Amino acid sequence: MSWFILQVLPYITVTVFTLGILYRLGRWAGARIVHNITLAPFPQNNSQVVGIFATEVIFFRSLFKSDFALWVGAWVMHIALFSVIGGHLMGIYTLGKQFVYIGMSEGLSEAMSSLLGTTFGIVVFFALLYLLFRRMSIQKVKEVTVTSDYLILILLLSIVTAGDIMRLVPSLSMEYAPAKEYVTYLVMLQPIPATAEVLHNVIFVIHLLLVQLLLIIFPFSKLMHILGMFAERWIINRPYTEPAPGLPNVDVPAARAAGLGLPAEGGVE
Amino acid sequence: MPTYKDMVQPVRASEAEMRKIHIEPVPDDQKCEKAIQYLDEIRKKYRSFVMAMESCVKCGACAENCHTYLGTKDPRNIPTNRAELIRKIYKRYFTLEGRWFGKLVGAEDISLDVIEEWYSYFYQCSQCRRCAMACPFGIDTCEVTFIGRQILHWLGIVPKLHMGVGAAMEKVGNHTGLPKPGIVDTLEFLSEEIMDEFGVEVNFPVDKPNSDILYIPSSADYLLNPYTLMGAGMYFTYIGANWTIPSTVSEAGNFGLLFDQYFTQRHNVTRLLDAAQNLGIKKIVWGECGHGWRAAKMYIPSLADRPVNWPITHIHDEVAYHIRTNQLKLDPNKVDHPTTLHDPCNYTRACDLQENLRTVIKACVADFREMYPNKERTFCCGGGSAILFDDPEMYQRRIQLSAKKAELVRATGVGKDGNGYLCAPCSICKAQLYPMVEEHELGVEVKGLIDLVGKALVWK
Ligand code: HEM
Ligand code: SF4
Ligand code: SF4
Ligand code: SF4
Repeated sequence: MSWFILQVLPYITVTVFTLGILYRLGRWAGARIVHNITLAPFPQNNSQVVGIFATEVIFFRSLFKSDFALWVGAWVMHIALFSVIGGHLMGIYTLGKQFVYIGMSEGLSEAMSSLLGTTFGIVVFFALLYLLFRRMSIQKVKEVTVTSDYLILILLLSIVTAGDIMRLVPSLSMEYAPAKEYVTYLVMLQPIPATAEVLHNVIFVIHLLLVQLLLIIFPFSKLMHILGMFAERWIINRPYTEPAPGLPNVDVPAARAAGLGLPAEGGVE
Repeated sequence: MPTYKDMVQPVRASEAEMRKIHIEPVPDDQKCEKAIQYLDEIRKKYRSFVMAMESCVKCGACAENCHTYLGTKDPRNIPTNRAELIRKIYKRYFTLEGRWFGKLVGAEDISLDVIEEWYSYFYQCSQCRRCAMACPFGIDTCEVTFIGRQILHWLGIVPKLHMGVGAAMEKVGNHTGLPKPGIVDTLEFLSEEIMDEFGVEVNFPVDKPNSDILYIPSSADYLLNPYTLMGAGMYFTYIGANWTIPSTVSEAGNFGLLFDQYFTQRHNVTRLLDAAQNLGIKKIVWGECGHGWRAAKMYIPSLADRPVNWPITHIHDEVAYHIRTNQLKLDPNKVDHPTTLHDPCNYTRACDLQENLRTVIKACVADFREMYPNKERTFCCGGGSAILFDDPEMYQRRIQLSAKKAELVRATGVGKDGNGYLCAPCSICKAQLYPMVEEHELGVEVKGLIDLVGKALVWK
């Protein structure tokens, strides 16, 4: 079973994930932007458009203004999740020495990587709990929720829980080195030796199983909002050039001098 | 009749009436199948619709930002749930997850009940786009109701009100069904009114060849909002413009935007371009109509079936320009009522007119008070997309839909002494607010903006 999850499933996952996303993007690209429906205040040029995209992606500006309570949970969750994903990539690739690039010593970098990873792992966990609680307790949010919305949150929570267990329970922990070794086998299309540590850590196997499940459903779920947001804003935040004001053959001072509108015997006032 | 199960519904057009607007109604036993077919065709065309179908995370941030949900607390009036009425069908027929997992991901089979839900809830949405502004991704539920209403139209389900307007437009060139002699008579009457009240001589040229400016008034201004038309006439006279009103398209509105973006909407555009060409004009200036200005500014470029050779601007763009360049003499003390501005959402979210409206109103009114939230964050008056239905059930809904706006007007305090002005420079806002300020006892009178310009102009 562990062997299937760690050795076979990843290739299936990557295939489904990639093709699935391409399929969804293809569907979006097939439909067109029929009318200009840019949203006011209209950006005047492309750098203003970039500004809108940036503040929306980095700060969730619209959400901040429209639903602050959700913004707190969602923004914290996203920042922490993004950091965790970044930490996975960098930490595993450099074996925790990523902060050496910004001038730390190797030992300090490893400690830093470990501290930040654990912290953000816990933050994501509580932020997700907050989102789940919000979904179950606020009437209007309950009313827009379907079963899959709960399931995705629960799936994410389970992934994070498994990860946090490995972080927090020393006997179940997983170092960067064996993880890197494992990823290297996968990338090089080589079989994993039966003795590899990853195959014998149950929590790690569960963690990977759940992550792959998430990646498999990703293209067929609302998680596509990550790309959807760019596609949607590409429609509603586009530059617009106003036609020049000013009416043809209108000379107001001349009209006033000619007394237009005023009857011969003089108007009011 | 105007309820179905627990839903309110506008009175619908009869089959004979649908034929007048070129639709052969689909019989009940084929409606479901046809609905899926139309949905399939249209989803392949509009990306704005596909994105609303495929990238909502169901966060609910849009709920409290929609006046229809705030006013009715009906869960199906939450923007994403409104979209869900069609999304559940979309999922079931056009996505893998919906076909495989059905209810789990919220997919549902189509049925006549679903189509009736569409009719009820897509005609409670005022297509005001406040949800698009609130959504973290900018998902525009208005684009979903546009398409929902389009499919309903093709199935033969359209409110009597909208049908009537579509038919009148095709017959005489305006929504109120006023033929040319009626237009000319009314305008002569308005000239006399201006002479009596303001002592200035204003003529309203109709179909005058070789005019420079084509002014497109809202036809509601002839009867319901005469001061709006008078104000426009006074402004054009004051600046000495060579202008005219075309009798063939004496209508700023375009209900096609609201229920049929194919034939009905394009028909108005064609009339407009014909008139512009025949009268040899140089610039088109639009009157006070929110959805109409949106249809003109944002949709003519993509709907016109020939090159558009005339710049199109809004009358308040022009007035604001003349104010900024100090060409108008306006006396704000002539309008001595505490005044607040209702930002029509079609101007301020869809057309970026918010600053010019302020330039104009501040020059015309001494005691101007902002209403918050304003500009692009404005709430709709509850009549948007012409859901101005008069039957008792829908009328009750209209009162609920305007509740949020009423609260905001009250908060400005302009109606405290019962002599306030609520400036609402859009025909549909006016038609909604005339009765609603009474229902909510706001102590204000509803005015257009160019009305106030007319009143504030100093002639000597
Ligand atoms: C581009 C800007 C983004 C915005 C504005 C955004 C916004 C949101 C919002 C509002 C939610 C709903 C929270 C809830 O369930 O109540 C959400 C959920 C989520 N987002 Fe994002 N997101 C963005 C990008 C991303 C990115 C880059 C990732 C991946 C790293 C991501 C992963 C998730 C996940 C995993 C969820 C939880 C799904 C769920 O709640 O069911 N998002 N996002
Ligand atoms: S705010 Fe946007 S993403 Fe959130 S529920 Fe509404 S439409 Fe969906
Ligand atoms: S367009 Fe306006 S009325 Fe319609 S769902 Fe969005 S906020 Fe509500
Ligand atoms: S009626 Fe007025 S307030 Fe309502 S949508 Fe139209 S422009 Fe907006």
